Amino acid sequence: MIYLLYSIVALICIYTLRHYWFTLNRLFGFQRHPYIDIDAADWPPVTVLVAAHNEEKVIANILSALMTVKYPAHKMLVVPVNDRSTDRTRAIIDEFVKQFPGRIRPFHRTGGKGGKAAALKDAMELVETEIILIFDADYIPGAGLIRQLSAPFFDPEVGGVMGRVVPLNVGANLLTRLLDLERAGGYQVDQQARMNLRLVPQHGGTVAGVRRSALREIGGWNDNTLTEDTDLTYRLLLCGWKMVYQNRSECYEEVPETWQVRRKQIMRWAKGHNQAMVTYGLRLLFGRHRATLRERIDGALLLGVYIMAPVTVLGWILALAVFYQGIAPLHGIVALLSLTAYAAIGNLAAFFEIAAAVKLDGNRQRICLLPFLVLGFTVSILAVSHAALAQLKDAVTGAEFRWDKTERFRKVTW
Amino acid sequence: MNPYLGTAVLVLVTSALFVVPLIPSLWELHRKSDAAALSVVQQHTGEIRYFADSFRGYIQSLAPLLKECGRSGRMVAGTMMDGTDYVVLGCRGEALRLPVSSKEQDFQVLIAASGDLVVPPNTAFSKDMYVRGRLLGGTDNTYRAILGERDLRLGDRSSVLRWVHAVGDFHAGTDCRLYGRVSAEGAIRLGTGCRFSRLHAPSIEIGQAPRLDHPSPVDSQSLAAGDEGARVLHDGNFEIPPGPFGRSLVVRGRLHIRSGARVYGNVKSWKDAVVEAGVWVKGSLVSARNLVIGPNCRIDGPAIAERQIFISTGTQVGEAEHLTTVSAPKIEVAEGVRICGSLWAREHGQAVAKS
Repeated sequence: MIYLLYSIVALICIYTLRHYWFTLNRLFGFQRHPYIDIDAADWPPVTVLVAAHNEEKVIANILSALMTVKYPAHKMLVVPVNDRSTDRTRAIIDEFVKQFPGRIRPFHRTGGKGGKAAALKDAMELVETEIILIFDADYIPGAGLIRQLSAPFFDPEVGGVMGRVVPLNVGANLLTRLLDLERAGGYQVDQQARMNLRLVPQHGGTVAGVRRSALREIGGWNDNTLTEDTDLTYRLLLCGWKMVYQNRSECYEEVPETWQVRRKQIMRWAKGHNQAMVTYGLRLLFGRHRATLRERIDGALLLGVYIMAPVTVLGWILALAVFYQGIAPLHGIVALLSLTAYAAIGNLAAFFEIAAAVKLDGNRQRICLLPFLVLGFTVSILAVSHAALAQLKDAVTGAEFRWDKTERFRKVTW
Repeated sequence: MNPYLGTAVLVLVTSALFVVPLIPSLWELHRKSDAAALSVVQQHTGEIRYFADSFRGYIQSLAPLLKECGRSGRMVAGTMMDGTDYVVLGCRGEALRLPVSSKEQDFQVLIAASGDLVVPPNTAFSKDMYVRGRLLGGTDNTYRAILGERDLRLGDRSSVLRWVHAVGDFHAGTDCRLYGRVSAEGAIRLGTGCRFSRLHAPSIEIGQAPRLDHPSPVDSQSLAAGDEGARVLHDGNFEIPPGPFGRSLVVRGRLHIRSGARVYGNVKSWKDAVVEAGVWVKGSLVSARNLVIGPNCRIDGPAIAERQIFISTGTQVGEAEHLTTVSAPKIEVAEGVRICGSLWAREHGQAVAKS
């Protein structure tokens, strides 16, 4: 039992150091933005896929925004992927098609397997361009975003690109404000540090792009996963394609406004991520493929981020158990200190990362909310641990994954 | 001490310690003083003319005065709505005349010239300048920002601190310092020794306009069928021999493109990339380190390096009809080079004598 606890403490220490390394790199290291300056070029033809399942509240906003972006109109085709919607999504899309002839080609899907990956997979029959950009329907791209996301593909090694997601409904309530802080830490620090250090920036499945030939090489979209983005990241990595994160390619999104919706969202992410960990973890670390050593290590750590939640809970239980059983790892107060310090430092590292992100964004007062993150982390740890247990149960019983769409909170404007 | 009281005090102090850090949190949660979404400028497109366009809007109120001064040839001083002093000049190719002591040689007013303007040497302008005609600047001048409706010509060793936009051509003499954005709708010509940061024009020429003698492409049908579009990954160093090369290439070492090569794909190297004389790259050229482009090459672009780019005499990057970008933290461009599009040195850009 004590050795298991040692292992958990060691793992948490590794993640703690990783947090610090990323944060210090963002604060003091060289920042890589190699493609963001490409502002003049013979821009490639692109297809913009907009994943939409019952999105009547938001679909008009994104289609309007896409019709005004600064990209040669004859080189950009928008494909709204209407996945079995039962609300007014289809009618709204068709209205836009009439309004902008030749610029929008809708893909209305009325049956088939559920989930975003399955819908994107089916929609590929409409894609003729080498560059594919992907947005969820609740995103609002800015005028320069399509160019910024297309630019990295001039590098023949780039298989995918990811922009920065910025919450729009920040001020709604405590949850949205905490999610704003978490997103800032995740993108402003984590993703950009991975880009700086040539590690593994993660494809987020939205505000993102993928090269069609790369997608074809890795076997297309995987519709057997709950998080097609994580799956895509690792399959591209194993085949020698690079993922680029562009921190300055920002796009507004809507974050969940209720804890219930947030819980469902993070459980889906955790399940998908853990699925990728089981599928690609060992192969990534020890297999023969194109990833570099630093990509193997960072990729493996990234795969483990969600499983660390139940591992941490287990660590706490073990710590209590060894204390009450009298199996102290060292002696007296030192033992107690070492057992508690890892948790404190572990948490502080994540707090430090978020605080650094808030500073980098030039924000001020929202940093006061930092202590409330304990609440957000607690909910996440419990939800993710629950997801891991449910996943284990599903694996034993052979139950199929169910894809839960994230509820929208925007008012219908169309 | 009463043990119950002690326990109560302990509980209270512990609770207080827990609550204290939450006080600013609760205050901020209630006040929502910083609860707006991160400012993402939805209309931002990285447009190099952004400041010039803003300035044009700013001085719109001076348009009638400019017209009137242009007709009458007189000079009018005044103050803008935001308190900035201005002088509108009705000059026509005459030497600059301003209502400040000529000994100071530092003009702290916004200058708007209704016609051509000749600026004496050793003069500093700490406010923006608008020139409806041509500008001929003396040597050793310092400008904050200039918007010119026709050609702009700066004397040797002049500096621009923020931006320049010329509706016609822009010409900077030798050893100028161009710290901000420089754009022209015609051509940009830089003398040797000029330092720059971000330039954009259909044609950017260094030194004397180059007489270009570029390699010609081979007939694309002569490429092996099926080659085009495929990506090759190569571990270690790689050399592209003379002749056509129809694939996109990623080299995990150094890349050497031999003289006479015609590359029809996009190429990238993890280490330094060296392009010998007379090479044509139809696609992009990317290096994770340094990129050295030899003389008389033709790169359709973009050309990107994560450390430094050096471009030799007689090379052209991009075409007037197909603008492209050259970008790296450090860029050195030799005399006789033409770039069509953007030349963006994030840390240091310099025009150097013929290589």
